[in-house]
Amino acid sequence: MTSLSSETTSVPVLTGPRPALAALRRGWLHLVLVPIALLWLSPLLWILVTSLKARTEVFDPAAGFWPQALEWGNYPAALSVAPFGTYLVNSILVTGGILVAQLTTITLAAYAFARLNFPGKNLLFTLFLLQIMFPIYATFLTNFVTVRELGILNSLPAMIVPFVASGYGTFMLRQAFRQVPTELADAARLDGCGHFGILWHVYLPLVKPTLIAFGIITVVTHWNDYMWPLLVTNSEGVRTLPIGLGLLAKSDSGADWTRLMAATVVVVSPLLLLFVIFQRRFVDSFMHAGLK
Amino acid sequence: MVVGATLQARIREAGLAYLLLLPSLVFLAAFTYWPILRSIWFSFHDVVLGDSKIIWLGLENYQRLWEDRLFWKAFGNTAFYTIITIPVAITCALLMAVALDSKLRGMAIYRSAFFYPVMIPSVAAGMVWVFLYSASYGPINQGLRLIGLPDTAWLYDSTWALPAIMVMSVWKYSGYFMLILLAALKLVPSDLYEAARLDGVSAWHRLIHITLPLISPTLYFVVIIGLLHSYQIFDYVYVMTHGGPADATNVLTFYIYQNGFQYQDIGYASTLANVLLLFVGGLIAVIATVFGRRIHYLGR
Amino acid sequence: MAEVVLKGVSKAYAGRPTVHAVDLTVADKEFMVLVGPSGCGKSTTLRMIAGLEDITSGRLLIDGADVTHAQPQKRDIAMVFQSYALYPHMTAYRNMAFGLLKTTNLGKVEVDRRIREAAEILHITHLLDRKPNQLSGGERQRVAIGRALVRQPKVFLFDEPLSNLDAKLRTRMRGELKRLHKELGLTVIYVTHDQIEAMTLGTRVAILSEGRLQQVGPPMELYMRPANTFVATFIGTPEMSLLRCAVTPDGEGSLLQHERFTTTLAARPGAADVFLGVRPEEIRLTRPAEGMTRGIVERTELIGSEALAEILIGQDRIVARMPVSEAPESGAEVSLSFDLTRARLFDATSGRALAAI
Repeated sequence: MTSLSSETTSVPVLTGPRPALAALRRGWLHLVLVPIALLWLSPLLWILVTSLKARTEVFDPAAGFWPQALEWGNYPAALSVAPFGTYLVNSILVTGGILVAQLTTITLAAYAFARLNFPGKNLLFTLFLLQIMFPIYATFLTNFVTVRELGILNSLPAMIVPFVASGYGTFMLRQAFRQVPTELADAARLDGCGHFGILWHVYLPLVKPTLIAFGIITVVTHWNDYMWPLLVTNSEGVRTLPIGLGLLAKSDSGADWTRLMAATVVVVSPLLLLFVIFQRRFVDSFMHAGLK
Repeated sequence: MVVGATLQARIREAGLAYLLLLPSLVFLAAFTYWPILRSIWFSFHDVVLGDSKIIWLGLENYQRLWEDRLFWKAFGNTAFYTIITIPVAITCALLMAVALDSKLRGMAIYRSAFFYPVMIPSVAAGMVWVFLYSASYGPINQGLRLIGLPDTAWLYDSTWALPAIMVMSVWKYSGYFMLILLAALKLVPSDLYEAARLDGVSAWHRLIHITLPLISPTLYFVVIIGLLHSYQIFDYVYVMTHGGPADATNVLTFYIYQNGFQYQDIGYASTLANVLLLFVGGLIAVIATVFGRRIHYLGR
Repeated sequence: MAEVVLKGVSKAYAGRPTVHAVDLTVADKEFMVLVGPSGCGKSTTLRMIAGLEDITSGRLLIDGADVTHAQPQKRDIAMVFQSYALYPHMTAYRNMAFGLLKTTNLGKVEVDRRIREAAEILHITHLLDRKPNQLSGGERQRVAIGRALVRQPKVFLFDEPLSNLDAKLRTRMRGELKRLHKELGLTVIYVTHDQIEAMTLGTRVAILSEGRLQQVGPPMELYMRPANTFVATFIGTPEMSLLRCAVTPDGEGSLLQHERFTTTLAARPGAADVFLGVRPEEIRLTRPAEGMTRGIVERTELIGSEALAEILIGQDRIVARMPVSEAPESGAEVSLSFDLTRARLFDATSGRALAAI
């Protein structure tokens, strides 16, 4: 019944008006959803179209929506004004560094919270959870002072250190660890594993979906990070892609939208491409993250 | 002797636990809790960035804040942004989620269309919307012209600048909230809907009386996430308006930044940061008490 | 040689004792079953033997060596879990190889040889490349047993391994386990709550209740000579009926007086207040005038070739077993006799079995 689509208009009388009604209702739904989806997609469309226009076309209201000729030259022009290669490498190093550091710290901490007993467990767990309430936007000022005192301002580590511990990741992984039957850990003990053996051979392989989900969220978050890298960097050698893009926008100040949009395409496309390719994974990860 | 052996085992287990927690705790302490404590301490002092001299001020910073009209403006803007954007974005998200919670054709495409803004860096999103909002050649004004409306200089108009950023935020985050709500909707047992249909309950009432109560824990969670994401307005203000025009889009995070980094006044900026934390913390507490009590937990 | 000796082994959780000073010796090549109702401490005892739980007090010896506080992998034991606890991300082969590679220095060739050999014995050679979720319950069970077998440990521990199988498969696996035990000469400690499993599998059975060892012995001995009322009623279905009686000396012997009948005993049991314990098959319906006593039939149940009748004698309710053809109608008054040569007496206050009848 549910697979009937709007094409099946000639419904046999016996099945009654219901399928036809459902099809009609579904048709209405599309009628509402298509414009909204287009509205949502339009900024992306504008980025793409503008990145291929000639400079003057942008400012000419009579020029129409589509470019008259595809100006592929905007891309090399955008990439030549700033060292986007360096930005890309920095972005990869910072995001990768945060990912590796977080996966390590949350794995260890989550195991302790999920499987070990120790005094102060609840208090410490609360401290971990409360971290979620204090994002970098709430603590950036004094963290900047700390990073400055540590003498690591304007370096890649400065962009990584505030994010090494993750209360959210610890929580997610602890939940996942608790789903692993204790008998498996018992079996591994009899098979000669210590705590680290159990963690490595039993727990981690079994919570891979959670690790991937958390990893995707972390990568998306920190790949796109703007404020903190903006505050702690001041030279080209350590800047990340979003910072580079921001600088370009500032220097161009609206003068050259085509070049800017070409740069934007370059900056947003890695994640968007990954998202298109691994759509299911991404969607599942963000869905998973919401379900405690 | 024997009791000693189990005690020893327990001590060893606790020792291992602390060892495993140590890396996290060090960074948690250094970059979450130490900054908060320090910020409280700073707020009672005159602290200048890069100057090791610290002068005790007592409550002077707080008094200054009380009389600072710009602070109240930034506070008002922050509250306005938070209190309007979150419910609007969540309502959008809920409607999207309910619409997509069926075996709809092209469901994956709709879902991606709504969700992709989450993947875009805030700086890129902000820039694009600056373009979209541009007074003379921006697509929005071009569209409005078609239906005969006058031009508005959105981001340069003190009435419209903040709402313009809010519209952008709804676009940016609804998809995220939608996805979380969609996951919750899928967990609502379908026999509940079937039972309601047999009882002749209309679709609207099914939404109000079955769906919403059952996904209320997730709604609550989404509100909290929304609150935490609302901090990110800094990025948009920084990229799109830099607080202008005439501080119409100056929000607390941005005002903290201005005081701390432009005027190097760490003491006052810390005072502002504390107020911001209190504000968000207070909102969460209010939501937890008002909302938390009405939540229907499914199963558990 | 693999002898397991528990000397006063106790367990307390947060000061609350759950296992009380269990003394038990499991001989080499013995199939010892620990049985009792849930919460009796049998699983905890097994887990203490495995090293998965600390022993609060007492000593544990395996093969003469004190392993009271040894790590599980140092005890030379292997365990089969109730849920099988197969690693879901490993194939059956890897599941069996994992512990072997971790605990021993055997080469790949020897490991492979052992796995193939065990797989042969268990008829799972064709399943070795599958992961647990591709196996049926019975197949998982075999792989779990295989994982224990390849270790060639001194002692095999089984924690309710059959309780997740359906009734038919359970019977088959029971036979299989018995065969393995006999053919391979294994020393087994086996925990179950199912007394039929205990009776059919064990060379000896240890019965636990509320953390205390009630009786240890071969199955038939437990059935015939239960040490106390707990064992008497726990073993056997339907359970043994207990009739409250008073004992008074009478010449050389004594007089056994129930509220509805009196009979003489040749001996003096040494307690005045007793329970007379009779099993369903020790009750015989008689012609009206010939019975020891009379009772009212409350309910009859036909269970195939036999029938069970619940009969009220005064305050006491007893269950009798008989051929279907002899089953009385419910509500009828019947005459009956007990086979006193097999019946036994228990001290009504302590519950302990009395020497003579």
